[in-house]
Amino acid sequence: MSTAITERLIGALGVPQISGRVLAVALGVSVFATQAQAQEQELLPSITLTTTTESYDPIRYEAAFIVAERWRELGLDVTVAPTEFSTALERFYDQQDFDATILGWSGRTDRLDPQFFLSTLDSRQSSPGGNNPGGYNNPEFDALFDQQSQAFDPEERQQLVMEMQELYKPDAPLIVLFFRDEVVAYNHDAFEGFEPMAGEGLYSEWGPMEAVPVGERSTLRIGGPQEPDNLNPLASTSVWGWKWMRLYYDRLVRLSADVEPLPWAAEKVEQVDDTTIEVTLREGMTFHDGEPVTASDVAFTWNYYLEQDYSYFNSYLAALERAEVVDELTIHFHLKEPSASFASISLSQIPILPEHIWSEIDDASTLSPSETPTVGSGPFQFERFDRGEFMAISKFDEHFYADNIAVDGVEFIIYADMEGVYTGLQTGEIDVTAWRMEPGQISLAESQDHLTVVNVPDFGYFHLTFNLRRPPFDDRAVRRALTMASDRERMVNVLLDGRGEVGSSVIAPVNTFWHDAFIERFEFDMDAARAELEEAGYSWDEDGRLMR
Amino acid sequence: MNRSRFLKSAQEPVKAILGDRLALVGLFVLLSIIAMALFAPFLSTHEPLAVNEREEGSLFMRSVDGDQVHWLASSPLGEVTLNAADYRDGLGMAVGRDGVVWRYAGDGWSPLDTPITTTLNAVNIREDGATLVAGAQGTVALWSPDDTWQTFEMPEPLSVNDIAWRDDNTALLVGGGETVWLLNLVSGEVTSLESPVGRGFELNSVALDTDGSAWLVGDRGIALRLDPQDDSLSLERLPGNRELNHIHIADSGAGLIVGERGTLLVREGAQARWQSQSAPDSRAMRAGWITDEGHAFAVGRSGIVFEREPGGEWQLVPSDEERHLRALMVTEDSFFAIGSDRFVNRLAPPSGEHWFGTDHLGRDLFSQNIHGSQIALLVGFLGAALVVLIGANVGLVAGYFRGRTETVLMRTVDVMYGIPFEPFALILVLLFEPSLFIVILAVSLLTWRTVARLIRSQVLSLRERPFVKAARVAGASDLRIMYLHIFPNVMPLVFLELAIIVGVSIIAEATLSFLGLGPPQSISWGGILHNARLSGAWRDAWWWNLPPGLLIMITVLSVFFISRSLELVANPRLRARR
Amino acid sequence: MSSRSSYLIRRVLHGFMALFIIATLLFFLFRLGLPDPTAALITEGLNPEERERIRASFGLDRPIWEQYLIYLANILQGDFGYSFHYRAPVADIIWERLGNTMVLMLPAIVLAYAVGAPLGAWLSWRRGSKVDTSGIFVGLMFRSAPMFWTGMIAILVFGIGLGWLPTSGMRTLPYEASGFFDKIFTLDFLHHLILPALVVALYYLGSPLLIMRNTMLEVYGEDFIEMARAKGLPERRILYAHAARNALLPVVTQLAVTIGLAAGGQVVVEVVFSWPGLGREILNSVRTSDFPLAQASFLVMAAFVVTLNLLVDILYTMLDPRVSFK
Repeated sequence: MSTAITERLIGALGVPQISGRVLAVALGVSVFATQAQAQEQELLPSITLTTTTESYDPIRYEAAFIVAERWRELGLDVTVAPTEFSTALERFYDQQDFDATILGWSGRTDRLDPQFFLSTLDSRQSSPGGNNPGGYNNPEFDALFDQQSQAFDPEERQQLVMEMQELYKPDAPLIVLFFRDEVVAYNHDAFEGFEPMAGEGLYSEWGPMEAVPVGERSTLRIGGPQEPDNLNPLASTSVWGWKWMRLYYDRLVRLSADVEPLPWAAEKVEQVDDTTIEVTLREGMTFHDGEPVTASDVAFTWNYYLEQDYSYFNSYLAALERAEVVDELTIHFHLKEPSASFASISLSQIPILPEHIWSEIDDASTLSPSETPTVGSGPFQFERFDRGEFMAISKFDEHFYADNIAVDGVEFIIYADMEGVYTGLQTGEIDVTAWRMEPGQISLAESQDHLTVVNVPDFGYFHLTFNLRRPPFDDRAVRRALTMASDRERMVNVLLDGRGEVGSSVIAPVNTFWHDAFIERFEFDMDAARAELEEAGYSWDEDGRLMR
Repeated sequence: MNRSRFLKSAQEPVKAILGDRLALVGLFVLLSIIAMALFAPFLSTHEPLAVNEREEGSLFMRSVDGDQVHWLASSPLGEVTLNAADYRDGLGMAVGRDGVVWRYAGDGWSPLDTPITTTLNAVNIREDGATLVAGAQGTVALWSPDDTWQTFEMPEPLSVNDIAWRDDNTALLVGGGETVWLLNLVSGEVTSLESPVGRGFELNSVALDTDGSAWLVGDRGIALRLDPQDDSLSLERLPGNRELNHIHIADSGAGLIVGERGTLLVREGAQARWQSQSAPDSRAMRAGWITDEGHAFAVGRSGIVFEREPGGEWQLVPSDEERHLRALMVTEDSFFAIGSDRFVNRLAPPSGEHWFGTDHLGRDLFSQNIHGSQIALLVGFLGAALVVLIGANVGLVAGYFRGRTETVLMRTVDVMYGIPFEPFALILVLLFEPSLFIVILAVSLLTWRTVARLIRSQVLSLRERPFVKAARVAGASDLRIMYLHIFPNVMPLVFLELAIIVGVSIIAEATLSFLGLGPPQSISWGGILHNARLSGAWRDAWWWNLPPGLLIMITVLSVFFISRSLELVANPRLRARR
Repeated sequence: MSSRSSYLIRRVLHGFMALFIIATLLFFLFRLGLPDPTAALITEGLNPEERERIRASFGLDRPIWEQYLIYLANILQGDFGYSFHYRAPVADIIWERLGNTMVLMLPAIVLAYAVGAPLGAWLSWRRGSKVDTSGIFVGLMFRSAPMFWTGMIAILVFGIGLGWLPTSGMRTLPYEASGFFDKIFTLDFLHHLILPALVVALYYLGSPLLIMRNTMLEVYGEDFIEMARAKGLPERRILYAHAARNALLPVVTQLAVTIGLAAGGQVVVEVVFSWPGLGREILNSVRTSDFPLAQASFLVMAAFVVTLNLLVDILYTMLDPRVSFK
């Protein structure tokens, strides 16, 4: 067997490899020359690069090996550790027990606001469990962060956000690996009119309202490999639950594809003073059971959420003191402190629940699926949810937006994996995919006459985060050099087949308003990486291993 | 004496195998597979996990059949990438990596001898047919129609990416580090122009406008405009911030800029503004061309070609193969697209180069299948050895001692029976890390139970036999009786179980790898099938699905054939009736 | 008390003991070895305090021995708890999934044995002939091919290539069924069942075939067959009426063991055919650290195996007088 194979087998068996030198030292035959050199410079610690398992995400898995190969070339001892997803999350966030980890943030509409992604570099988020496990600590960055979150003027905030990006980037606390396009498809012989939404693909809250049947069936069928954990608006902790519930619960405002808040159940939203927001409801709305939607329902819902302590919404409710009924159609939201995002993000996320049903329920989080109320006031009404199989909603004709909706209803078919979803799409069983297709399916879908393939750029990103608390990543020069030595171009070209973009900033280029196009890019350049290390006082031993 | 007894007990199975035709076939196949595993590095044609990429001087030609437009691949021009091309009055030139230059005359393409060895990125033909080429490390050279080359010295070894003629003797060169050079071809003098951005961004392309000014575009969506009066550069605001790769301006003033992420900027006339247009694909576009009437073409990576009727929407046009197209060359009556960067040889069906084809990342499947035998056999034999070792001993001890020992051991066996295999393996993987060791552990932990039961029941009857009683009377120790008197008699059964469990272990390993629980970066047959399914391409790529499954099947089958002849040894009653 | 019934009582007790040990083992294995069930919520943007509250609502904030006692007490009352992920009673989920698994596995196994056993008997009769060799060859071949691969090939050929049969799920969706039996007593369900059931049946075919054939060969040597022959009974009659009946015991034993193990389903078949069975659910529940669901699924599978092994033992005590009741 060749050595490469032997090594791989040994590596796979998990037997630790002992380098010649360690062996020599252990045997007491240390060479004088080595010893003399060791006093000046030492080998860098070997590092473990954690990534997801191949079955969880083949792209991130392969990306780790692309990175590791080049880092080894630079003289580091790198082990790639593919880890089950939740174990990786736990080690990264809770235990902060990692050297460097590849993970990602998904792009959710409310994350188009720069607040969340910037907060992942805030040093106050660096305690265990926080969103900054790498431990990047830059007081100047933190100060700017506070400034921007209170800046009401968009132009001023934009300047601050750009400044923050310019500030953190040269420190290279993380490598934004790439932005991956969501490649989805729909059957244009059955439905037309979809507008893809960044981060959401075609299965956005607008999708079913835009779809226009062109075939025989007017019930839109969406297929996906994930299903909601449950459809309890006070217990669901998955984005799949909320994507579906949003279709049958109304919100006060809705976010357009460009994250513009549009009045929805609210006729208007006005700022009374710094800490009071007045919302006037649209007239004549009813719940699916025929009861009218009143200001009292809205105020009840918000106060109920405050009381019930539903963690998933905590960040949206953080600024709220209480909601107060002013008259039949008017609600005042009293805030603890001025908040720029309350009127846009929070109002667009919290549903309106019927008071006459929920006021009877003391502890909403323990409801079983059969006890969970499903009455909303949204453009669709709940029909059924057969766990592991399918969900259905039908158009609610009394809704104020009903005339603009061309479909009769929506059905969501739950498959075991993307294989099943693709087969469903191919055979016409479903009309739209709710989740991105695998690379191998894309080319197949492109060759099908009845399918339209859509590339939707994402603003969520995949990142490789260094643990700044540990050597050698406590040294900025090492991080910079390793960033330059990461061939991200290759990831996009080979792994994504060009359907994506090399990572630049935590604020993605599709997020045009907030993205700073002129920050340092760290293009792949091994020579520059070596130069960076040399300048910082690193050297290489006769075997090409990096020393300091 | 004892050794000879062991030898004798081993002799019988060997005789049994040699005496059975199916078993002989099995043995032959198994030995071949073992040889395959041992000599895998020599047998495989490629590094099994290496991404196979290809490079060539691709040449595509636009063809129109009725109203169907198709870009057809013609036979490639050599084996290296071509980066740029130009055409004027019957003469075409294409340049590429390692100083390659191809010349096009109405009747076809021919390579030119050049003194250049660096990569060429730009080419531009002057009215008289003289051609300026430029590329990496400040390479600039002029070819004259009498086939002579004249090279020019640049002030810095920066990459030159594009060329435009200011007049017959002055060329405008743009490139890396925001370089803008004016080269006087008569004096060889170079003037550097100061960019207003000054951040060292790459400039990728330059085109002359109808008013004599020049547009320069590049990295981060920057666009500069060169004023012909005083040679000053000013920054122009264009929509978007993606890297711009190429600009073309027609004589009528219509213009097209293409860039990364499907960027398409169009100017309908000399006075019009640049407008961003939506592209049917979001991948990188490398070159564009717009006619005087506004008929526009753009080509990019993965063989993407867009076309647009004047004033219409951009449409994706089918092209032959997934090459990365880098430049367009337009003659009086035809359109050529050239390339290609190194492209991944994905999902290639079996060929002389790749006997079993390639997978979704262009990795050689023949080599993967060859290497897959190693893990299969390693787990098969190591796992089986471990299982039989544990199982036989537990069975022996339980059956011989009986009483409390037996109860404890057999209750443990009961517990093991209650644990399902795949979920338990997953727990092991979660507890530790996925590795070959875990796979072997999972396989053996959950199969020794059967062996233990079988051996025990055999031992139960053996221990009552006269020869055991005799040994006991003679004062032999328990250990001695167990291993010297009883054990040789269960040997046939042990061999039989060993053979069966080799087969079971191979399938178990394949199952775990298929579920993605196998050791990372190792190649196994189940893992190949796992990848095939995960990629979504398996339904078309039969060459990806069939071989690993067949290999698992024949390996296990051969082991089963061998085990059948061993069964005759273990159970002589069968033999009597054959 | 007769020695037989005390033996049976002891066996039942042993079964319960095995289940208890498994339950305990898994409880601690999960809690100490699997990641925090709320870890996956980090990507949803939940902060540590919010996650701590969720952990508390799962009862994970209590000391581990206390959790263990509560767990045992609940099991004894037949309460498997609430799934962390689905927020639904675990029992509901498991019965549904187990039902789905069984409607696939039972017909498949029964088919395999119904075809395999007579075939094995027939092969033994034609022993040594070409038919015998090729019969063994085919049986062993399907036994040697991994089921997920046979499944993939079957999908390629019959599902995608010829388009004859559906390739995923249990039924054409959306189809509104009011109950479990409503789901399975349809032609549509049978249509979906064909491919996966055939794949499973082919895999299992080899074992009744070989067991039957080999036992028959043994039985042929027994005296009563010689007697029957001496009486001049026709070979066919001897084969089926006398030999086969006696050779059936090991086959039935194997059948019971196979059914016992089938509760866990064949995970790979459920994956390849998107069958919503217990095997896939258990993998998911381990992956998402849904402790109550995972524990209960393991326990149900173990109970199945233990029960059927017990049945085998009882069968033996009744049919085979040689077994002693120690």
